[in-house]
Amino acid sequence: MAEQGRTDAWRGALVAHARAVLDAVEHLIGGLGTALLAFVALVWTAAVAALCPLGIGLLLAPTAPRLARSVAERERHRLSRSGAEIMPAGRAPAGLRAALADATVRRDLGWVAVHATWGLLISAFGVVLTANAVQDFTYPLWWRMLPRDQATPSFVPWTVRDEPSALAVGLYGMALAVCFLIVGPGLARVQAWPGRRLLAPAAGADLSLRVAHLSATRAAALDAHAAELRRIERSLHDGAQNRLVAVTVLLGAARRALARDPATAEAALGRAHDAAEQALAELRLVVRSILPPVLADRGLAEALAGLAADCPVPCRVDVDVPGRCAASAEATAYFVTAEALTNIAEHSRARAAAVVLRRRGDRLVLRVEDDGVGGAAEGAGAAGGHLGSGLAGIRGRAEAHDGRLTLTSPPGGPTVLTVELPCGS
Amino acid sequence: MRIVIAEDDPLLREGVALLLRAESLDVVATAGGPAALLAAVDEHRPDVAIVDVRMPPTHTDEGIRAAVEARRRHPGLAVLVLSAYVERAFATELLATGGDGLGYLLKERVGRVEQFLDALHRVAAGGTAIDPDVVAQLLTRSRPDGGLERLTARERDVLALMAEGLGNTAIAERLVVTEGAVHKHIRSIFAKLGLAPADRADRRVTAVLRYLDDGRRPGR
Repeated sequence: MAEQGRTDAWRGALVAHARAVLDAVEHLIGGLGTALLAFVALVWTAAVAALCPLGIGLLLAPTAPRLARSVAERERHRLSRSGAEIMPAGRAPAGLRAALADATVRRDLGWVAVHATWGLLISAFGVVLTANAVQDFTYPLWWRMLPRDQATPSFVPWTVRDEPSALAVGLYGMALAVCFLIVGPGLARVQAWPGRRLLAPAAGADLSLRVAHLSATRAAALDAHAAELRRIERSLHDGAQNRLVAVTVLLGAARRALARDPATAEAALGRAHDAAEQALAELRLVVRSILPPVLADRGLAEALAGLAADCPVPCRVDVDVPGRCAASAEATAYFVTAEALTNIAEHSRARAAAVVLRRRGDRLVLRVEDDGVGGAAEGAGAAGGHLGSGLAGIRGRAEAHDGRLTLTSPPGGPTVLTVELPCGS
Repeated sequence: MRIVIAEDDPLLREGVALLLRAESLDVVATAGGPAALLAAVDEHRPDVAIVDVRMPPTHTDEGIRAAVEARRRHPGLAVLVLSAYVERAFATELLATGGDGLGYLLKERVGRVEQFLDALHRVAAGGTAIDPDVVAQLLTRSRPDGGLERLTARERDVLALMAEGLGNTAIAERLVVTEGAVHKHIRSIFAKLGLAPADRADRRVTAVLRYLDDGRRPGR
């Protein structure tokens, strides 16, 4: 048992590191892209500066901050996807004087200078290292196809003439790969560092963006909260409260009839009893619809597994979400899954379904897919009536929590429903 | 007494109908929404309509609007509005339409059958029935002129029952005093509040409620 646990732990660590290395490759390549753009922006800025004494440079000057801003925005977007979110800065100020007075513009230009040189160097180094590792590692397999005199790969300090020296290149490639496995993630971080420092709003300098963003998300959260309260109020009013009023009315009728007409009293009491039981059942429903007890007790992964087990279509559940998210986000993911699986069971004629839940930055991404007939659409016609209303319900749930729903369901399938929700933690 | 019931919850609708029929009252029609209520009133010309405030489609104040419309079409129609919540605005909105035979009660009062039937008969006879909770809400806020503070505790009790729409005899019964004593209290109340004396119970209710409701809006 202990050995099994240790093996699992090892495997987990290995998978995590492999993921980090792949992420590093992606970041270095992406960073190389923005570094090249930054290089263009830097050259342009230098050219404009050089042309200033001639007068024409002054005319072109306002384009430099704008170009820098557009490259910087691209980098902000890129960095936001792989870590802490960086607020977009919006449009640069129009005039040259205003632009140069703007702290964010100055930081943009500073970042362009660093990223076009240092960043370019780091990303190029990382990418070349990766490419060479792959090339040299596989070299013994294909070196014979090269012409004799050009067979030696670049960055290999010896000349390849025969099999052993080619094998040595393979070993060299392996060493490079190990090198990258060790330094790759760090390299990606070093490359992103100037962007994270310079492109985030300066501390205390320009909080207005942050405030605007926060007020927008807060307003959305409040709206979601109000919508949820309205829904709960309505279900309590239409359900349990009305049932309980009916109980009092029927009890009143029974009391009045008790002496005069025992049969009527008996009938009224029976109906009062039924109504009281209905009230209880509806209260349970409302409680479950606020926060299903299984979610609170067992967590999202087990709650989703429970839903999948109840689904008549065989359903695979794959949840990889470290820690817990806000209760409202988890509850929304739960209800969306429940609704989606109901749709699949009723309409898709699928043979298999899958629920995949991941955390991407500060968002929870839920994907529910099936191999059924497809053609699902909101407000679909006669045949899809139920389906349509189910999807509208899912959209309502997701949007009430500031989430986003995307659906692809071509006729013939497969159907993939994706909901992104802010984790709120 | 011919009665139409409008309530969107079927169980409650049938419950009220069952209760009234057991009391040998004539429930001529039941309706699940405002349109059905208006149609039933047009067709059956009932004496009283018992109307739920929240009905389809929006579940806000359809019942009030349908009741106002029904009374516009049939001026003699008495309306008893049932509500799940105390909503003073609904009560005053309804009373603002003027005329006789109006009631506004919490739904659960129906279970207190004697008092409910009393209110129903009062409304059908052109009187008024206002829920005690609505009256209690109106009485909580003191007026800028301090009128309510000048009343004795017993006078406040009498005022509350008057506001509910009870007549002198009923007030005397509730408070276990003689009608003469009630008369005396009422004269004293009207004098202290500076209201013109009114003998008929419904006129009195209107005056008292207007007085209390004005007190809720000192700014105006």
